[in-house]
Amino acid sequence: MNTSNNVLIIGSGISGMEASLMLSKAGKKVYLVERLPLIGGNTIKSGESYPNMDCSTCLVSPIQQEILQDENIEVLTISTVVGLSGKPGNFQVKIHKKARYIDMVECLGCGMCYPVCPIETDNNWEENLVKMKAVYVPCAGALPNVPVIDKDLCLRLNGGDCNLCVEACMFDAIDFSDKDKTLEVEVGAVIVATGYDTAKNINLSRFGYGKLDNIHTSMEFERLCAPNGPYEGNLVLKNTDKKPSSVVFIHCVGRETSGYCSSVCCMYSFKHAHFVKLKKSDAKVYNLYHDICLPDKSYQKFYLETKKNISNFIFYSNINQIEVKEDNGNLIVQYPDNKGESAIIKADMVVLTVPVVPSNGLVELAEVLDIELDRFGYIATETSQIGSIKTSRHGVFVAGCSEGPKDIQSAVIQAEATVANTISLLNQ
Amino acid sequence: MSEKIGIYVCECGPNIASRVDVDRVVEEIEKLEDFKDKELVVKKHKLLCSVEGKKFLENEINENELTHLICAACSPTDHDSTFIGVCKKTNLNPYMYKIVNIREQCAWIISDKERATDKAIRYIHSGMSRVLYQEPLYEKQLDINPDVLIVGAGIAGIEAALTLAGKDRKVFLIEKTSEIGGKSKKLHELLQRQGVTPANLKRKISKVKSNQNIYSYTDTVLENVIGFLGNFEVTLKNTKSKEQTEILSGAVVLANGYELFDSKSLENFNYSNSDNVFTAEEAEKMFKEDSKLTMRNGKEPSSVALIHCVGRKEVGYCSKICCSYLQKIAHSIYDHSPKTEILDFYKDMCLPNKEDDHFYKTLKRKSIDFIRFEDISLKGNSINYTEKSGLKKTTSVDMVILAPAMIPAQSTNTLKKMLNLELHETGYFQEPHVKINPVATNTDGIFIAGANRSPCGISEAIIQAQAVAGKISTQLIPGEKIIPEVKVSEILEAYCTGCKSCLDVCKYGAIYFDERRAISIVNEAICRGCGNCVGACPSGSIRTKHFTNSQLYQEVKEALRQGEQIND
Ligand SMILES: Cc1cc2nc3c(=O)[nH]c(=O)nc-3n(C[C@H](O)[C@H](O)[C@H](O)COP(=O)(O)OP(=O)(O)OC[C@H]3O[C@@H](n4cnc5c(N)ncnc54)[C@H](O)[C@@H]3O)c2cc1C
Ligand code: SF4
Ligand code: SF4
Ligand code: SF4
Ligand code: SF4
Ligand code: SF4
Repeated sequence: MNTSNNVLIIGSGISGMEASLMLSKAGKKVYLVERLPLIGGNTIKSGESYPNMDCSTCLVSPIQQEILQDENIEVLTISTVVGLSGKPGNFQVKIHKKARYIDMVECLGCGMCYPVCPIETDNNWEENLVKMKAVYVPCAGALPNVPVIDKDLCLRLNGGDCNLCVEACMFDAIDFSDKDKTLEVEVGAVIVATGYDTAKNINLSRFGYGKLDNIHTSMEFERLCAPNGPYEGNLVLKNTDKKPSSVVFIHCVGRETSGYCSSVCCMYSFKHAHFVKLKKSDAKVYNLYHDICLPDKSYQKFYLETKKNISNFIFYSNINQIEVKEDNGNLIVQYPDNKGESAIIKADMVVLTVPVVPSNGLVELAEVLDIELDRFGYIATETSQIGSIKTSRHGVFVAGCSEGPKDIQSAVIQAEATVANTISLLNQ
Repeated sequence: MSEKIGIYVCECGPNIASRVDVDRVVEEIEKLEDFKDKELVVKKHKLLCSVEGKKFLENEINENELTHLICAACSPTDHDSTFIGVCKKTNLNPYMYKIVNIREQCAWIISDKERATDKAIRYIHSGMSRVLYQEPLYEKQLDINPDVLIVGAGIAGIEAALTLAGKDRKVFLIEKTSEIGGKSKKLHELLQRQGVTPANLKRKISKVKSNQNIYSYTDTVLENVIGFLGNFEVTLKNTKSKEQTEILSGAVVLANGYELFDSKSLENFNYSNSDNVFTAEEAEKMFKEDSKLTMRNGKEPSSVALIHCVGRKEVGYCSKICCSYLQKIAHSIYDHSPKTEILDFYKDMCLPNKEDDHFYKTLKRKSIDFIRFEDISLKGNSINYTEKSGLKKTTSVDMVILAPAMIPAQSTNTLKKMLNLELHETGYFQEPHVKINPVATNTDGIFIAGANRSPCGISEAIIQAQAVAGKISTQLIPGEKIIPEVKVSEILEAYCTGCKSCLDVCKYGAIYFDERRAISIVNEAICRGCGNCVGACPSGSIRTKHFTNSQLYQEVKEALRQGEQIND
């Protein structure tokens, strides 16, 4: 049997997109499967990204556009892989594609449909900071710029007679006859690039999270500051229009539970410190840290600049003795200092650098693909080789944060490495 | 053939139509005074970028036999390539088309519909003036050479060679020393997390030796490289015989590695060659040769201090791997003689790999003393340090092992000059974009992998080498051709005075000087059309195709024409 010239890529973050574009340029047909209605992954959640602080949207949206316009890349959004059989060079893949209920060709992304929808629900993509409708795009500027209707919530799709979005749409783009589909495709190789989530299930009550206002995880903070975020980057204290005048970033939160250093939170906390100063130049910023992790040639400079101009750096000796409380409307961060003695910082906002963890649903996907996970739940690579991006199943490769936490550049490098492996396999 | 300009105004659904009076635009463009003698086709369309819109445009170009095309629509970043794609399906040369942005630059930023409409008309007018001066350009196809030259036979170079070499692709692997393997060959025991022995590396080296498509040259350095992606001419030189070899390759991979910071140059590190102060590399060697540490007097040390971050402040970056390799050394010492007192002096523990914390925890359970310092100085074997708590202390040990910062290899600077590359301020090679193009350089066809781009460990060097292989195997496909940029610069021979001003400003090394004719010449295969040289040339003899002075002048002149008031 001839080797297939097609490649399946699962996950459309920066790693999945980079691999898709490269393979398409090399004349391969790519099926890019993304479970969300939009492509781009986590990088589009940041307003700016370190180390050079370029605007993430400006960096990523040309890549997204190129992907959507590329005739060799078939983008399958709201889709998941549900079966993989066959062998390297000739895999058969089953993909479950959910109905969008909106015609991708007719819809202009004008946004007239969502304001009229009577149903509200939490917007998970926005870290539940805001609500969204049953017909929605996760955030401004989402690509493809076409909303999706939530089948479980829409009145019409659950026997009701609501017709509001249909009436609002001038382009007849809403199509309730759309159905979930199962596609079967043939590919020669698979690249898993399902990225990461930030930990949701660790106990943060000691840090006041969930109990007190203005305590956020770093990803929430990222969205609060982002121009494409729910508040258009307008960082304010809850239920006020006041900008925070002192913010504490607590490092290594949850590291004990995850069992590893997430390798990106030191740097993004410095980035966040910059954000605070940009929003309010006289704000006080504190990085409350234990170790500083700067794994690239340009990172120490960023750290030193932050330390010099932007933020106080305070060492804590034991994460288990940190507590966040409230006193008279102020947040009080109590921590053991460099001598082990208890000290406090007063602040009006606290940000917790929660661990990067494998993306939700990776266990199920690993079962479908029949690949092994490591003890943290990331995709395991061959143990007999150093620096391998091969998984335990021949012909299935891994790129980006689905292999372990890393910054954008390392994710892209890994993606480029999977391309070399894929091409060697397909050209055999 | 007479000129016939098609102007298509897109409504972009309500995006443009609700804020710009599209019908008035069509009407006024049709009766523009200075286009009276030209044939115009002016039409509006609901959505030009849609499948139907593209078909419409294609038919219009064909049926009307247009010679010039204007799409008044959105930002070129959105759909320039879409409309170029349409042109390519017709007989219209894509360089005879221009997009005019009346969405982002008119509809979306001006609330007054009248003024937005005026501005849109003016923009289109200005685009029409330019498009008349545009010239057709034709893409060329160049044959490529798929072979690859790799500089440096350390782990990154070896991995790149093994990944790239195949029946359609030869690899030339050159190494300055007399054996392939680089520094990783010397390592006693690879980092625990990598779970492999040097045997693994040895296997890779023997694979290189037995691969018929890999040609290894030891004792060899680069002497000269000219050319461009797909076609480099390379001169190699044997450092012993001084013999030169010419080879041809399509791409060049730099994997020339790193060196170690000289810790003796530090003021606060006072020691001499007779003291028992060693670098981690020397310690690795001792373990490799006799599985133990030995002092200068031949005895084993009963106390060892490991010092992190030596030179980190001076070089300006963290070397990323020394925390974990010192832990590996601590582990080796403990394993060999558990009674040895081990003091690990660190500033921050930088453990960015997911497996690192676990290893650190197992070490903490052993009787290793981890001491966080603020400041540290060394006099022979005696150590003065300030603890994180502020306490000043002194201690003395039998042996000190230092983790000096990794620094760029000396050859990096030589290569930079020879190949016209950029360096980062730390002295490592600079990527064109640190996040989204991390293993390339500012010259197409030249790539970087391993510790010459940033400090890194073995597994990362290997992945980077594979990344480079990924880049090369998608850019240089055996048997296929490449299409170089067509919007390049050209130097008009008659005007060039041979002043050489242009040579310095070209970042891509695309200009060479023809000594015989005493003029500068642009190599079109390398030029990216950035236009730097155009500004530098005092005699005005350089022009960038598709951005010529007359094209730009026509466009700007019309946009700035006095008369009607335009404020935005
Ligand atoms: C708060 C924060 C800030 C950061 N800031 C920076 C920064 O400034 N600079 C920097 O270099 N790095 C930064 N990082 C790291 C950066 O976000 C990652 O390196 C990068 O996003 C990794 O890209 P990826 O493609 O591997 O994964 P992701 O971006 O996570 O993309 C994975 C994609 O796969 C999809 N997916 C998941 N599971 C499935 C499935 N089963 N089927 C189909 N699709 C699936 C997801 O929906 C997602 O779209 C930051 C990280 C955090 C947590
Ligand atoms: S039909 Fe459904 S999606 Fe549309 S407005 Fe009604 S509830 Fe919302
Ligand atoms: S479905 Fe209709 S109303 Fe909604 S964004 Fe698309 S075109 Fe606009
Ligand atoms: S990156 Fe920094 S904050 Fe994050 S776990 Fe590592 S040391 Fe802690
Ligand atoms: S890796 Fe560790 S020892 Fe090396 S420079 Fe960084 S912090 Fe210092
Ligand atoms: S246009 Fe730019 S790349 Fe081309 S020759 Fe001039 S300076 Fe060099």
